[in-house]
Amino acid sequence: MTANTLVNSKLVCVALNDKSQLAALESTFNQDPYKKPPTQPVLYYKPRNTWSVDGAEVEWAKDFDGNNVPAMVVGASLGVVIGRETCRVGQDEALDYVGGYTIVADFSLPEESYFRPDIKGKCLDTSAPVGPEIVPADTIDNPDALTVTVYVNGEQKNEFPLRNMQRSVAELISKISWIMTLQPGEIIAVGFAGDRVPVAQGDRVEATIEGVGTLTNTLGGA
Amino acid sequence: MRHARIIFDGRELDIDIDANDRITTSDGQRLGVDLDSEEITWLPPVKEPGTIFALGLNYADHATELAFEPPKEPLVFIKHANTLTGHKQVSYRPDNIDFQHYECELVAVIGKAGKNIKREDAMDYVAGYTVCNDFAIRDYLENYYRPNLRVKSRDSLLPMGPWIVDREDVADVNNLRLTTEVNGKITQDGSTKDMIFDIPFLVEYLSKIMTLNPGDMIATGTPHGVVDMQPGDTVVCTIENICSLETRIVSEQEYYGDKY
Repeated sequence: MTANTLVNSKLVCVALNDKSQLAALESTFNQDPYKKPPTQPVLYYKPRNTWSVDGAEVEWAKDFDGNNVPAMVVGASLGVVIGRETCRVGQDEALDYVGGYTIVADFSLPEESYFRPDIKGKCLDTSAPVGPEIVPADTIDNPDALTVTVYVNGEQKNEFPLRNMQRSVAELISKISWIMTLQPGEIIAVGFAGDRVPVAQGDRVEATIEGVGTLTNTLGGA
Repeated sequence: MRHARIIFDGRELDIDIDANDRITTSDGQRLGVDLDSEEITWLPPVKEPGTIFALGLNYADHATELAFEPPKEPLVFIKHANTLTGHKQVSYRPDNIDFQHYECELVAVIGKAGKNIKREDAMDYVAGYTVCNDFAIRDYLENYYRPNLRVKSRDSLLPMGPWIVDREDVADVNNLRLTTEVNGKITQDGSTKDMIFDIPFLVEYLSKIMTLNPGDMIATGTPHGVVDMQPGDTVVCTIENICSLETRIVSEQEYYGDKY
């Protein structure tokens, strides 16, 4: 964890919130071990050892034998920063609890299975840069109208309009707040493009949202 | 020595408890109060809680009870401080569910930062031990990142404490009796010797993935013998030579009050 992380105490990420990804995986999700598609938001944590900042190098992960892993990927999301204690709020009032917005990059091993918590894939040191800053909530009219774009070495790799999310920002805040009371400064990464972007050692990754900023990080290990 | 955090006489205090149950505050004041006094409000014992790692299916008999093959690799999930509460506090049962059960677990509290820690050095990174009750709402299980956050990340559903026992005061952490009583009747009776992946293994395993930091905790899983809990029930999780953790179950309405 870097000393100047923008995250306070918790970073909750929402997986499988891209409608097209859910559609593409529908037959998989009707088989074992899933048996049926998810009925609730699919959530995971990036714990504090992962938190990092704009401009920082992201460590290239090692396998259990101490060798560099063969592949890593990145996804980027709008980060919703909680502004005040959020406990069991309705969807209609949920955006009133947002203090600001930022960008969350989730570097990980490739997503191969969603069945068990992906600690090995997701909990890598420095793998969750957040930034470049937190813009005040009132500067964004409608968070669901934003688009997240990922560039690697200057080349656009994917673009995710948040209107393609299965669940909206307000719905996610509400649903999560019925599981856990959220505190000021806690961040929800609301959705990633289903296709994670492959990255290589030394790559420069930029995640951009108009009005929120550009988060830039470089992969280590080169 | 044992270490805890309490509210006493309106003050939040870090305390040490010696072998004769005498309480001393961090600024050296002796508190003339018994450990079982109702004047003590017990807080979760880790002052600055970090990442809480919890193990699923880490006792072979419990894995069988839930109709699973014992895992070949640890099943680890993560929890955060919103789930924590202290000894003699309340946990809630959500409305409209059929099965909420306790899970009495030994917790290793990390005392020193480390990465790529070898098994033979692992215990140097453990400051001490406590007990937790890692409640689960089985109705909410889904096969996505299972056990999912809706099952395992709810407010108040990880009572912990009352205290942390220093590592060097526990002779053999791999051979401790673990029992749970519901309303005075023993419902779970196991031993930490039946853990599939022991603490040194888990410290080595996790630290190969990520840096462990002081205040991180590893809740090591529960053995066979889980039963449903209802509002009004009192559950006591005990691990020999560590501590006994008492929790009263309340309804969702009682827990959330005017936020219900």
